[in-house]
Amino acid sequence: MKQLLKILKFEYMSCVKNKAFIIITVTLMVAVILIVFIPSLFSNNSSTDGEEGEKSIIAVNSSVYDEKTIQKEFSALYPDSDIKITNEDTNALKEKVNSGEYSFAVKIDSELSFTYVTVNNSFFSMNNESLVDIMKNMYSMKSLENYGIESGEASKILNPEVTFNTVTTGTDQTKNFLPVYLLMCISFMAVATYGQLVAQSVVTEKNTRAMELLITCAKPSNLIFGKVIGSGLAGLTQLTLIALTGIAVVSSGLGGNIIGFMSQYFNLPIQTIVYFLVFFIIGYFMLAFLLGAFSSFASKSEDLNTLTTPVLLVLSAVYMALIFMMQSEDMGGSILNILSYLPISGPLAMFVRVSLTDVAVWEICVSLIVQIIEVYLLGMLAAAIYRIGVLMYGNPPKLPEIIKLLKIQRETDKAKTTE
Amino acid sequence: MKLEIKNLTKSFGEKEVLKDISFTAESGKALGLLGRNGAGKTTTIRIIMGVFYQNSGKILIDGKPFDRNKLRIGYLPEERGLYPKQKIGEQLIYFGMLRGLSKKQATENTVRWLERMGMSEYKDKRLETLSKGNQQKIQLAVTLLCDPQLVILDEPFSGLDPVNAMLLKDVIKEVIAEGAMVILSSHQMNYIEEFCDNIAILNSGKIVINGNINDIKRSYPRNIIEIGSVQFDEIAPFVIRSLNEISTDVETDEKDSVVRVKMKRPDDKMKLMEGLLNEKFDIDSFKVREPSLNDIFVEYTEGAI
Repeated sequence: MKQLLKILKFEYMSCVKNKAFIIITVTLMVAVILIVFIPSLFSNNSSTDGEEGEKSIIAVNSSVYDEKTIQKEFSALYPDSDIKITNEDTNALKEKVNSGEYSFAVKIDSELSFTYVTVNNSFFSMNNESLVDIMKNMYSMKSLENYGIESGEASKILNPEVTFNTVTTGTDQTKNFLPVYLLMCISFMAVATYGQLVAQSVVTEKNTRAMELLITCAKPSNLIFGKVIGSGLAGLTQLTLIALTGIAVVSSGLGGNIIGFMSQYFNLPIQTIVYFLVFFIIGYFMLAFLLGAFSSFASKSEDLNTLTTPVLLVLSAVYMALIFMMQSEDMGGSILNILSYLPISGPLAMFVRVSLTDVAVWEICVSLIVQIIEVYLLGMLAAAIYRIGVLMYGNPPKLPEIIKLLKIQRETDKAKTTE
Repeated sequence: MKLEIKNLTKSFGEKEVLKDISFTAESGKALGLLGRNGAGKTTTIRIIMGVFYQNSGKILIDGKPFDRNKLRIGYLPEERGLYPKQKIGEQLIYFGMLRGLSKKQATENTVRWLERMGMSEYKDKRLETLSKGNQQKIQLAVTLLCDPQLVILDEPFSGLDPVNAMLLKDVIKEVIAEGAMVILSSHQMNYIEEFCDNIAILNSGKIVINGNINDIKRSYPRNIIEIGSVQFDEIAPFVIRSLNEISTDVETDEKDSVVRVKMKRPDDKMKLMEGLLNEKFDIDSFKVREPSLNDIFVEYTEGAI
């Protein structure tokens, strides 16, 4: 145990002191600040859907619709702009739009045609569509008024308000779908990245020939467990720093619109977040043990891809399958249930189940116990593979050869014990 | 303390690499493990270190099964390697702790061994910034950091310049003097001859000769006499002419001013000396020629001298 702690501490410190690791952490922290901060920066500066200006003025020239209707319809869509009714002709409007006095201008030529005057017609601007909607609305209102319906009544007919209630007997998936989807993406990427960190560390020790000294100083199981736990803790440190940065920026008030967005779409129950952390950690251990074990056969960094790709492909396939199941009506049914007990797929599948469906507590407990046993067995298997792999140089062996070598090792160990 | 290797055998697949090898090493003495490339030296060392398991045979310490966890072991593997990107001091402490030292002990020993190797100034430098020779010195410091009772050095002199080789020699002598048991493999016979009391020569996985170097040398026929003299060119014809009843062959080495006389019987060396003294030759030295370790090595690994 003491030896394991020493290795764990060394691996953890090696990771967090690594220049590349520090640069990535700082870069991600800055990225989080920018992601939270930039949208609010833009929303403050442009209140008229991409058009420049602080309190912009929209000029409207119309002899077809009355001033009250124009003010009402335009203000509804452009609440942060002043709507100026004007008699200026197209040339005058062009001049003032060009000089920046008006953010843009509209000359209504007839009941169903208009001229839109703007400096740049941005690809991302929705003004064309918005103005068409305003024109349609004003035309419909005017037509209904011609049939003797008052404008208030006409507005109610054109824009009826529909209210509804949803009664769910299970879990409301619409609430959790987006955050669960995003957390799955994050855990998939994080588990794969930190697992690769373990694989890289094994290859480096083998490449630098430190391995022979290491395995004569320490038990192979301590070496791989120390490496996996150490790198995992380094990864958790990185994720915590990034999350704390996000929380700090949001709570400082700089987040602006993003706070509303977060509270609307990311209001996950605390137990879902706890489940995420637990299954994320289990998932990391499973993958890291496998990657660590297989990477021990790599003689050089170039071999690493060949050896780790099959494991990562399985993870990707599980991830894709779960995404499809999340979109289906019955959430994959019994297939999802089976996946939630298998190694590799278990943590992700169980997280989907507890977040988006109704799962009995005993089922969660059983799945957790099964997955913890799987982690232990994978750890032991990884230590056995690692013990063989670290002293092998040359071309990486195929899976049947690895199984054969494991059998030989087991027989030798048995003989050694009985001796 | 006595380490006994008893009847070790090891095969990799169909290939039998070690065939029933046995030898003994003792505390305060060094054992030279010799052999040509592929003879099985590194495999033997790796079995002692627990990297590989033997197919059969025993390793005993004072008659009891060898438990690596109960002994402080210093190991310099043939494949040198540490962490190139880590600070030297940090990795020395780490390896010291893995060998069972407390952090305090490991830190103290790190300072001591870096000083002994003349590397104190590099404590906070990364290993990759050092020259190959200096990296080798750090590797040796890692080996000796735990004040080992058993030191195993696999080709310790390879890659060292003469000055660093001298330093290593001195360090090994100190370690032996302090009572450690040293097992070292090397191709450089002069180093082995200098501080090994015992040798074991491996050839194709078998021990071909094993024991105390002096005893092995004395076991050779002592019938060649080396006479050092400035008159070597006169002594040689004199022996051929006047002492042919006791000698069978005479050979002159002009470079070393030496005459080698092969006697019919080793006991006749006094007759040879009397004959030379009677003729009043100016003799600098008169001694029985012993085979060098190199001669013995070549004889046992290649056939004959």
